[in-house]
Amino acid sequence: MALLEVKNVKKIYTTRFGGNQVEALRNVNFSVEPREYVAIMGESGSGKTTLLNILAALDKPTGGKVYLKGRDLSTVKEKEIAAFRRQNLGFVFQDFNLLDTFSLRDNIFLPLVLSGRKHEEMERRLAPIAQRLGIADLLNKYPYEVSGGQKQRTAVARALITRPQLILADEPTGALDSKAADGLLNLFNAINQDGQTILMVTHSVKAASTAKRVLFIKDGEVFHQLYRGNLTNEQMYQKISDTLTVLQAGGEELE
Amino acid sequence: MNSSVYSKLAWTNLKNNRKTYIPYILTAILTVMMFYIMDALFHSKDIGSENLKLMLQYSVGVIMIFAVLLLFYTNSFLVKRRKKEIGVYNILGMGKRHIARMMIVETLITAVVSIGIGLLAGIVFGKLMYLLLLKILHYDIGMHFAVSGTAVGQTALLFMGIFLLTLFYNMMQIRLSNPIELLHGGNKGEKEPRTKWLLTVIGVLALAAGYGIALTVEKPMEAIFDFFVAVVCVIIGTYALFIAGSIAVLKLLKKNKRYYYKTTHFTAVSGMIYRMKQNAAGLANICILSTMVLVMVSTTMSLYAGMEDILKYRFPMEFSAKVASDSKETDQAAERAIREELEKAGVKEKSWIGCHGAWLAGIKVKDGFMLTEIDDYSVSDVCALSMIKLEDYNKLEGKQETLAPDEALIYAPYGTYGKDRVKLGNQNYKVKKELSSMKLEKKNKSSTVDGYYLVLPDEGHVQQALEEYNAGSAASASYAYKISFDMTGTDKEKKEAAEAVETRLAEEFSYSYCESRVLSEENFYELYGSLLFMGIYLGAMFLMATVLIIYYKQISEGYDDRERYQIMQKVGMSRAEVKRSIRSQVLMVFFLPLVTAVIHNVVAFRIVKMLLQTLNLVNVPLYLGCTALTICIFALFYAVVYAVTAREYYKIVNE
Repeated sequence: MALLEVKNVKKIYTTRFGGNQVEALRNVNFSVEPREYVAIMGESGSGKTTLLNILAALDKPTGGKVYLKGRDLSTVKEKEIAAFRRQNLGFVFQDFNLLDTFSLRDNIFLPLVLSGRKHEEMERRLAPIAQRLGIADLLNKYPYEVSGGQKQRTAVARALITRPQLILADEPTGALDSKAADGLLNLFNAINQDGQTILMVTHSVKAASTAKRVLFIKDGEVFHQLYRGNLTNEQMYQKISDTLTVLQAGGEELE
Repeated sequence: MNSSVYSKLAWTNLKNNRKTYIPYILTAILTVMMFYIMDALFHSKDIGSENLKLMLQYSVGVIMIFAVLLLFYTNSFLVKRRKKEIGVYNILGMGKRHIARMMIVETLITAVVSIGIGLLAGIVFGKLMYLLLLKILHYDIGMHFAVSGTAVGQTALLFMGIFLLTLFYNMMQIRLSNPIELLHGGNKGEKEPRTKWLLTVIGVLALAAGYGIALTVEKPMEAIFDFFVAVVCVIIGTYALFIAGSIAVLKLLKKNKRYYYKTTHFTAVSGMIYRMKQNAAGLANICILSTMVLVMVSTTMSLYAGMEDILKYRFPMEFSAKVASDSKETDQAAERAIREELEKAGVKEKSWIGCHGAWLAGIKVKDGFMLTEIDDYSVSDVCALSMIKLEDYNKLEGKQETLAPDEALIYAPYGTYGKDRVKLGNQNYKVKKELSSMKLEKKNKSSTVDGYYLVLPDEGHVQQALEEYNAGSAASASYAYKISFDMTGTDKEKKEAAEAVETRLAEEFSYSYCESRVLSEENFYELYGSLLFMGIYLGAMFLMATVLIIYYKQISEGYDDRERYQIMQKVGMSRAEVKRSIRSQVLMVFFLPLVTAVIHNVVAFRIVKMLLQTLNLVNVPLYLGCTALTICIFALFYAVVYAVTAREYYKIVNE
């Protein structure tokens, strides 16, 4: 069974005074299998963020269904939605979204605290993750005291600590320099190897080239997809670039 | 640019910022109104009493200072909020001169609206206040309250000055910053504050000292001085504990992992640490202000309400007169004069008492009283001594006491003497009996100064004590005849009688001293009435300011916290949890000062009760009731503003 299934998802925004209707997502279909690492690519305005918000249960689709492990997201009650997201989803954002008033440790603990876990358990979970992400020595520092890469690794630790079904990453390398971005992408690969399912939204070819599968969105629809197969990162990069060129130039269906 | 563009822009700006501007303009209107009313009362020709004028003038001064501070504070909050907006105008190509012109128009609109409506409201409610004041003072003069031109002029001038000052401040703010700074307003990462242990310890010690003094002071006279020491200690303690103590406590809570990592405590504790860092001094201000308001209003209220009691204790008999007693003839002449005047005024006397004696101030020592000044004594040892000869005592009380030449009777109306010997200057007496009552003064608890009655064997003993007293001190007293009685008749008749007796005695006798309840009543009403009026008026003003400052503080924090709560929601905090967290934080910020103020008040209760005792108010239940009532009203206002604020705060965070 697929971990995530998106079926005929549609999203229409109505402008404030009811005049114009904007179709952000027309008809999106795809699924993500457990242990997959999927990248979604598209230009600004292609509907990437809208899609991610719907997957994260932050927004409701106008039509269609989203299933996580077979459960229809629209059946999750408003009251439970926060807990549902906490338990099943982990988030990594472009601008880190760390709280300045908390140390890195406390930032990582935040979702567990919200779930009402015991402190001993939090520490037990944190130790291997911090080790793996190389932030074990930084845990008592505050976000404004560490670099962007370290902040993003903290955010990844925060996403991982709840042992989510799926990690949703929104442009995770967007605010990082190239070296830090490389480090983060390696890390994504590594945790994917460990068995973590990841869905990443990006418009960086570099970032997408590390994924196992890349979906392209254009004008509110899944336009095309690429499988890595046995390609190297460089070959994958080339293939994505070619696809994007075609996408931008004309837009006839490939292959 | 066309000049109508500026006024259009200014209007739009005010409209778009109405959430912060409406409370600001409302504050300005209320302040204008309150200032005008007080100033108009001060300039009113009908209020002739010097004391009252002085008090009104003092109030005008307080309100003036307060108006400047309050409007300046709220304005600085507004301009901080608007920096970003002004930065956008600047980037869009408006020069600083254009922005300044726009701001001038904005200030002009705000000023005209505030001053105009404020004055109008002042004129309308001024009449009401005037009536209230007259009622409180028991004044019985004609009602011709007109609009006071002087007050209108002064009010307009003062507030135009204040608005000009705020405009100047705002323009400086804009001038000194570049567009990028303006755009970013003031968002910077903040360090977690350090624990200041020294200050915490100082705070604890100061507060303990203040509380200790308030709870252990023994004598009312000492209370007056000790009260100020205690107040200073408590103020220091409050500031230190709010600033350092709060953070120390929160950090300790944070160290306790089991406590800290709980859903309800996690965000609250860390949020409060930063909030206290920014707001501790402000909250301490609010706490002290609230404490002052509560004490001021409850004491003035109980003084006023307890006036009848006070008068009764202060003046056990309605009228008493003392004249120098040279011979039987003078005594009789005095009695005759008084009776004649009473008859003329149509007033009858009741329970007439006449007795000879000496009334002077002595110093209480271990085994009796000193009549001359000694080196080492405190103010609270000074006491009033009434020395009466045995013959008069027996006549008054209808008794047959006898005393040997070295014996005396003693009576302590405010307590007990409790020893079997009494020294009176150089004389020593055996206490034959300590009396439990005396017609001259019933046992009571009131009085600033301690007092004792000594019944001595004969006039010679009294004269001897007088001689020693007159030789040894700057003051002089003489052997006197004291006449006291109650009166029946209307208040007006009593007043006339009292006045007539006083003038007649002063004319005919070398020494005379009169005291009457009816004449003092007017002074008391004027004094306590104007105190009450001021207490309530300034109390209302302080309350308004307190509540407004908290409102603004919370709203500005709402903007700062918005991002934090959005992040927490993204990470998985539910709306209900956000709401709960906001409520608990706002609740703490709101009620921490109030609860502390109430605790201060409870601790101060005993010492304030003693202070009231020096003003002859001994009705403890009355004071207790007034305090409770004041606290309830205060808390009620507070709760309403809290509810409004929490709602606005939540709206801002969830926008």
